[in-house]
Formats: sequence, structure tokens, C-alpha cells
Amino acid sequence: MTGELAFGGWSGVLIMVVYGLIMLAIGLVTYFKNKNIRESNQEYYLGGRGLGVMVLFFTFYATQYSGNTIIGYAPQGYRIGFEWLQSITFMILVMVGYLLFAPRLYVLSRKFNFITPSDWLAKRFRSKSITILGSLLMLYGLGNYLLEQLVAVGQGVSGLTGGTVPYQLCVIFFIVIMLIYSWLGGMRSVAYTDTMQGIALLFGVFILVIGSIIYFGGLPSTADYMAAFTPDKLGVPETSGIVGWFSMLVLVLIGASIYPHAIQRIFSAKSEKTLKNSLIGMAWMPFVTTGVILLVGIIGISAFPDLGEMESEKLVGMMANAIASENIFFYWAMILLFGGIIAAIISTADSVLLTFSSVISKDLYGRYINPKATEHKQIFVGKITGIIATGVLLIIAWYPPATLYEIFVLKFELLVQIAPAFILGLYWKQLHSKSVFVGMLVGTILATAMTFANITPFGIFSGLWGLFVNLIICVIGSLLFNISKVEEKETDKVIGL
Amino acid sequence: MKFIKEPIKNGKLWIVFGVLFLLSVPWYLPEGSYKPLILGIPYWGWIVLLVSLAFSATITYAIKYLWITEGDDSNYKEDE
Repeated sequence: MTGELAFGGWSGVLIMVVYGLIMLAIGLVTYFKNKNIRESNQEYYLGGRGLGVMVLFFTFYATQYSGNTIIGYAPQGYRIGFEWLQSITFMILVMVGYLLFAPRLYVLSRKFNFITPSDWLAKRFRSKSITILGSLLMLYGLGNYLLEQLVAVGQGVSGLTGGTVPYQLCVIFFIVIMLIYSWLGGMRSVAYTDTMQGIALLFGVFILVIGSIIYFGGLPSTADYMAAFTPDKLGVPETSGIVGWFSMLVLVLIGASIYPHAIQRIFSAKSEKTLKNSLIGMAWMPFVTTGVILLVGIIGISAFPDLGEMESEKLVGMMANAIASENIFFYWAMILLFGGIIAAIISTADSVLLTFSSVISKDLYGRYINPKATEHKQIFVGKITGIIATGVLLIIAWYPPATLYEIFVLKFELLVQIAPAFILGLYWKQLHSKSVFVGMLVGTILATAMTFANITPFGIFSGLWGLFVNLIICVIGSLLFNISKVEEKETDKVIGL
Repeated sequence: MKFIKEPIKNGKLWIVFGVLFLLSVPWYLPEGSYKPLILGIPYWGWIVLLVSLAFSATITYAIKYLWITEGDDSNYKEDE
């Protein structure tokens, strides 16, 4: 069944072209409506801080739920079974993570006009080393995230079209479209296209699960199959799996909520009410997104038994192809799913790319390399480096280094190291900046070394060990070394709400 | 802008989150067990789902009622 091609060819090309043209049209309209968009960082990177509830919600949604959510999570459900229910919990925990800092950070972002997450670090610690190291860690996390999306486009397209539309052509086509509309309209274009893409993603996910239930049988029949052949995927996971589950949840709770591109969306909210309503909506989305994707992966266990690890990565494409060959309705529905998957990937990639550019242009170039540069020039530098970074990642994406899930875990390891500075800094006035820097640096080195050496004591991810040591250095250092009166006064001006 | 209520300062909220977090992973259930299966989902899967629903409900409550600032414009109609 996997070798048969149910669709692809001209219908695949058609959906790609139509989709690309719609995205370009949104970019063009945004550009003509807001011609001065590229003269100011606030306009370009935050959409003038004017995103309303619906646009903010969908840009949060499309940003948080990436191509990996569809293409990578279904195979993970396939491989480990019901243990992957954790994908629902951890998407919810991201929202718990927001509660740790979003209310205060939103207020401060308004008070001090933050554009990037590093603006917060710079304002709070007034330390070049913390701001630069924090920015580099964010760039690593963002670069990794972007790479993940490029790999997802490749695997998604090759799985869905059986290679009819060449992998390379698709990847380049969508990158060019994304670069053009981001270039034209900045955050406004990204947020508006995210709205359309978020709707496409939701639609695609539901069509896929309905098709899977109709043509491969629902959960009860799959459960019977699992009970007979793979009971380990049905039963309560073994203790080792459970420790990994806990550590994954903690890692995501802290790591995913401080995604730099998600934080920038907090800054972009039109008002506090807008932000609150969008976050409430987001708290319920895991059930209708990762929950539904898990069903697809579980149904795949009986529909396509015994797939190897790399083979199972193409599960969604295989299922979509099989469903599409059943009748004309599902043929077209799967073509739309194809659009939904691309939407999920591109909408995350565009948000990541925009934040990546903003960190380069504002935090590194504008703050340290050429402080006299106009905002127009900063934005231009951000765009050029964004294109170069995309090119480099594209070369890496040609030969994906690991499964999507492994790439996904890797990016958290380093990103979480900014959490103590980011979150503790909001509340603890005695936080000692040198200790924060040393903690961040030691945590980063430790997490990197442990990741490369593949050391995970007690099944706990290396990023968490790094974070643990990082936190201890931060806290003990702050208790041992007092901050000066002047520093205390300055800190009070920033966080004394 | 001053905080009238801030979620992070509400101890009870974090106790609830802590309990839900512990319940969200089935460490307290016998390893390998899956019966009864309800609608094709093992009993422990339903427990994890219910805990997740409680998580979302608690988050919604916290955002609505425990996140209030002086400048909160929730009394005003959304102008978009």
C-alpha cells in the first residue's frame, strides 16, 4: 500500500501553487496597507502591538503547533502507543509555564517597549554578557526549530506525494514564499497568514482522523489488535518510561513557554484582555490537536504494523495516501490536509524566522555591533541574516541528522538555560547578575556535554541536569553575594510593580 | 500598572497544579495494566485525559480570576 500513489502530480502542484499565491496575496495586501512597516522595529517585529484576540490566538496556535505536531507526533504515538498521551499534557503545561511569567512580562513590555525577549534580559540585568549569551541560546533554539520545520516539509511532501513533486523543489518553493511575505509585511503578514494557516491546520487534522476511523477502523478494533500483538503500547508504561515522561513534562513546562517567538507574541497583544482571552483559548487546543493526532498514530499501529523507526516517520503520508484512494471526497479532503500540513510547518517557520531576525538585528547588531544604525537598517540586516540562516539550515535539512522527535528534544536542552534569568529575574530583586551569567554558562556547557555524550542519569534529560545546576548557581550565588544599593534601586525601578 | 491579583502569588493555585502534575503521569497504577478498555482507550488513559481537562479548567480559572491588574481592560468591550 505504501508504494501506491493515490494522489500527487498535478493536484499536488495545484494545491501548492494556490496555497503559495494566497500567502503572497496576504503579504502584498499587508504591505500596501502599511507602507511604513519597515521603518520601525515595533511595526515590523510586533505588528505595531495591535494584534486582536482572533489573530493573536491563531498566531499563538500556528506558532506553537508546528508541522512536527502532525508529521512527528503521529509516528511517536505509533511507536510508544498510549504513553504519548503526554503530548496532550505537555501542551497544556506550556500554558502553566506562561502563568509563571506572562502577566508580569506583558506589563513590563508595555512599560519599557520591549521588542525582543533579550530586551527584557538587557533591561533587567544591564549585563552585556547575559544579554549576548541569552541571545545566542535563543538563536540556537530558534535555528533548531527552523531546521525541524524544513525537515518536516521534506518528509511531509515526500510522504504525501510519493515523490511526485520533488522534495527539493517543494522545500525551496515554500521557503521563498515565506521569505517574500515576511519581508513584505513583518509580524502583520506573519500573524495574518498564521490565522489562515491555523484554520487549515485544524481542518486538516480533523479530516485525517475522520478518514482514519472510517477506513482503518476506530479505536476499539485497534485496541484489540494492540492487546493481541503490542500490549506494551496499551498498558501503563514501565517505570523507566514514566521517569522520562516526568522529565519531558518539566522540560516542556519551562522550555516551550519561553520560546522566544511565543514571547514576542505576548509583546504583540493589543491589550491585556486580548492576551488573556487568547491564552484561555490555547489552554484547550491540545485536546483537539495533539489528542486527535495521537488517535491517528494509534490507528496506524493496526493499519501499518511493524514499521521501522525511520519508516514510521512517514506514517501520516502513508495513511493519507491510503485514505485518498478510497473515494473522490477523501481524495480532495486529503489534498486539503496536504495544505494543512504545509500550513502548520510554514506558519511556525515564519514566526521563528521573524524572531530569529529580530534577535540578530536588534539585540546583536543594533545593540552591540552598530548601535548608531537606524531601525530601517537594523531590519534590513535582520532580513539578510534570516535569509543566510535559512540557506544554511536548508543544506542541513537535505540530510536530516535524526528523527524529528530527537531534534525536538535537543533544542530544549539549551533553550531552558535562559529560564532562571528570565523568570526569577521578574520577581527576585536580589538576583545577582554575575551568578546568573555563570549559572547560564555552566548549565549550557553541562547540557551540551551530556547531550553529546548521551548521558541521561535516571532517565532525566541532560537539559534538566544543566538547568538544575544553573539554578543552584543562580540561587546560591545570589544568597552569597549581595547586590549593591545602586543596583537594588535600579532593579526596583524595573520590577517594583 | 499594579497587580491586584497575580497567578504566581496564589499558593493554592500552585498546590492544585502540583497535584494535577503528579496525577498526570500514571506512576501510581500497576505497570502494564490496561483493562477495562473504554471506547478503545485503556482505563489509565481516561484518567490522564481527565487530569488534563482539570488542568485546562484550572488554567482558564487562573487567567480569568487570578490575573488582574489596575490597567486591566476586561470591563471594557473589545474594540476590534
